[in-house]
Amino acid sequence: MTTLIQEVEPEPDSAIKRWLVSDRGATISAAVLFLVMWQLLTLFAPRVPTPWAVVKIMWIEVTGGDYGSVRRGEFWNHYAATLQRYAYGLAIGFTAGVLVGALIGASNIARALISDTVLVLLALPAFVWAFLTTMWFGIGWQAPVLTVAFTAFPFVAVNVAQGVRAITPDLRHMSTAFGVTPVKRFRHLILAGITGYVFAGLRFAMIVSWNGVLLSEWFNGQVGVGFRTRYWFDANRYPGFLGWVISFIIFVVALDRLVLTKLQARAFRWRKTNDELDKELLATVG
Amino acid sequence: MAKVTVSKLAKLFPPPIKGGDVVRAITNIDFEVDGNVFVSIVGPSGCGKSTLLNILSGVDTPTSGSVTVTEAGKPAKLGYVFQDARLLPWRSVMDNMMYVRDDASEESVANAAKYLSMVGLDHTHEMFPGQLSGGMQQRVGIARAFSVEPDLLLMDEPFSHLDAMTARSLRDHLQDLWSRTRKTVLFVTHDVMEAVQLSDRIIVLAPGGVIYDDISIDLPHPRKASDPKVATLQAEILGQFENMQIPAVE
Amino acid sequence: MAGVLVDSAEASALGTAAGLRRRRYLALVTGWVGFVAIWWLLSVWMDSDARLPSPGRVWDEVWIIFNGDPTNSRNDGGIFWNNFLASVIRVLLGFVVGVAMGTPLGFLMGRNRYWRAFLKSPVMIAGSIPGLTYAVMVLVVFGISFVGPVLAIGLISMPYIAINVAEGVGGVDKGLLNMSRSFGRSEKQMFRDVVVPSVLPFIFAGVRLSFSLAWKVGQLTEVFGASQGIGFQIRRNFQLFNMPAVIAWIGLFIIFMLVLERFVLVRIERKLFRWRQWEREG
Repeated sequence: MTTLIQEVEPEPDSAIKRWLVSDRGATISAAVLFLVMWQLLTLFAPRVPTPWAVVKIMWIEVTGGDYGSVRRGEFWNHYAATLQRYAYGLAIGFTAGVLVGALIGASNIARALISDTVLVLLALPAFVWAFLTTMWFGIGWQAPVLTVAFTAFPFVAVNVAQGVRAITPDLRHMSTAFGVTPVKRFRHLILAGITGYVFAGLRFAMIVSWNGVLLSEWFNGQVGVGFRTRYWFDANRYPGFLGWVISFIIFVVALDRLVLTKLQARAFRWRKTNDELDKELLATVG
Repeated sequence: MAKVTVSKLAKLFPPPIKGGDVVRAITNIDFEVDGNVFVSIVGPSGCGKSTLLNILSGVDTPTSGSVTVTEAGKPAKLGYVFQDARLLPWRSVMDNMMYVRDDASEESVANAAKYLSMVGLDHTHEMFPGQLSGGMQQRVGIARAFSVEPDLLLMDEPFSHLDAMTARSLRDHLQDLWSRTRKTVLFVTHDVMEAVQLSDRIIVLAPGGVIYDDISIDLPHPRKASDPKVATLQAEILGQFENMQIPAVE
Repeated sequence: MAGVLVDSAEASALGTAAGLRRRRYLALVTGWVGFVAIWWLLSVWMDSDARLPSPGRVWDEVWIIFNGDPTNSRNDGGIFWNNFLASVIRVLLGFVVGVAMGTPLGFLMGRNRYWRAFLKSPVMIAGSIPGLTYAVMVLVVFGISFVGPVLAIGLISMPYIAINVAEGVGGVDKGLLNMSRSFGRSEKQMFRDVVVPSVLPFIFAGVRLSFSLAWKVGQLTEVFGASQGIGFQIRRNFQLFNMPAVIAWIGLFIIFMLVLERFVLVRIERKLFRWRQWEREG
């Protein structure tokens, strides 16, 4: 029972043991363990494809092959289509989010009038937008783009509003007292103050709206990552299905770890550590 | 009637930086405490007061020498008051008192209530620690330590985190409680005035962990801070410290 | 942006606290009335139930969902409670699963550096996986079932609970553990009276944090594979192209999510952790 309370730090002796208990060693061990468990699972559950079967079919999807396609693989077409919609949707949602967020943050009246609506939008799951936009616009590019925009918008708005409100009257009074020029004030007080919040909002928005674009393509589409995943799913070809699922998970995790987290940490370097930001991400995506 | 014997006690710590000197927390000290007396251990910070208390309570072990705490030949039962109150915030005051008891009999409850009453906390049994002021929390901590009926009571700067007014009133509370119960107490503090008001004997430690002085205070208990005799003695002893020579440690 | 700079002046000009409350209340009501009015005007302008039904039309649909369709001879007397309860029970059971999985992981992560490094990446990745993944994976593995959505909710809430428990375990007050040892408390007593009460609020915070996400993913799994539940009803009416019913169910979905989150969860938390209200800062 003592071990539940006291921190246990193993004393590594050999070099291999030292590597195994290092942070990198632990992460790699976790990945290896995952692969082993997956392979073992396929022995008991025949519907679950083996890692190797997934790699094989994804190789064909990426490079093109004898699946009735002589072009370069399907993979690139679908990702190109999805990423284009994702980018347009984010641009719309982000712009609207910054404008509305600034308005809510700056004016008490605007906040009372529209912040409830933004909270309701925040509570709406992405599949609702996928359905509504499909019913409004039918099959086409509009539904995925607008689904992304609608899911991204409230996350950006809420964060920007928070950022604007974080610029306290004290700092504004200080600026007035020292006669800081409006240009300097905008740059050092307002812009520098809200940049971190804008990035935080963008990060959360990008993660949730990735789910949105996939869902929308799943229900409505003739092209795209979500569509192709469903294609394999409907065909009962689980290696292809699982391969695409893994590809879109890798995409969003890499996007977050390699790009968004770093950008956000840079913009917020005066405020928080990465671990705190991760926790905040978990809190806000919900 | 606990008996505390400290003989040739030394405690060394490894150097804080590589190639530095070994840290001497305590260097060869001897003393003995016998009977129901209130003993203060006084000294500037870094003179080994807390280390000494940790060794006495068994949290830490000495590098050399020995420490024994006995009650009529058997190991003594200890009670503690810490710098902060250390109450479970999710338990009521009464539940905190009962937490350190081994049984939940009516007797134990009555005993806990008795000590709470002695520190003037009759109406707080069902309150949570967060609802009490810092001084009241520390009073619960003191009542808790007395309520286990220890043979030896160890107190580690219990008033150092409180504001001056609160600390003053708590010292009076402690004097009152001690006069009625007369336990053996080892009280660690850096405040000479406090030590003079409370104790029968003051052991003064100097940096490096050596005994610099051992003073007896012969005044009747309970003593009030406002008592002119206490104030005179405080001034006198404080005067001795003004030209305190820090002995060289070999 | 200049608006930012007049905020405090604006606030003080509004006068007394009561006046401020009245104004805020007025603005809130205006906001909602304005919302419904704009909705109504748009629906009149579009004049298409399939595109944007009027608020009145959606209200009729809500009435039918609660009370059944009077024009239908096989009046079922309302389908709301069956579907609502199905969704709520899944979410609750899902949280039980999530707490059961997340708590031990959190304990491992909180007390041991190696396990923290080992579990950190998997837990963070689990937290950013699109909800679609959980919904379709449980459909593949379990088919249309009761277990599937419950497991999906458990999996989605697990990382939040694990991370919170880890923080809670790391933050157990060392002073209280020391005090307990000084007074000769047993390890079992310390676990029950010190460790569990310190960690419990963190478990609950994990549940609260993941609640809206779990509720969303729960509905999503119902969209993909269920025969009952709010998500299932939204999907069914989407396929029937019944826009008024889709909007009615979405409205009910939001209202009940907010009610559960704001009133039920907050109230339970307040009751369980009464002692925290008086805890001092720092």
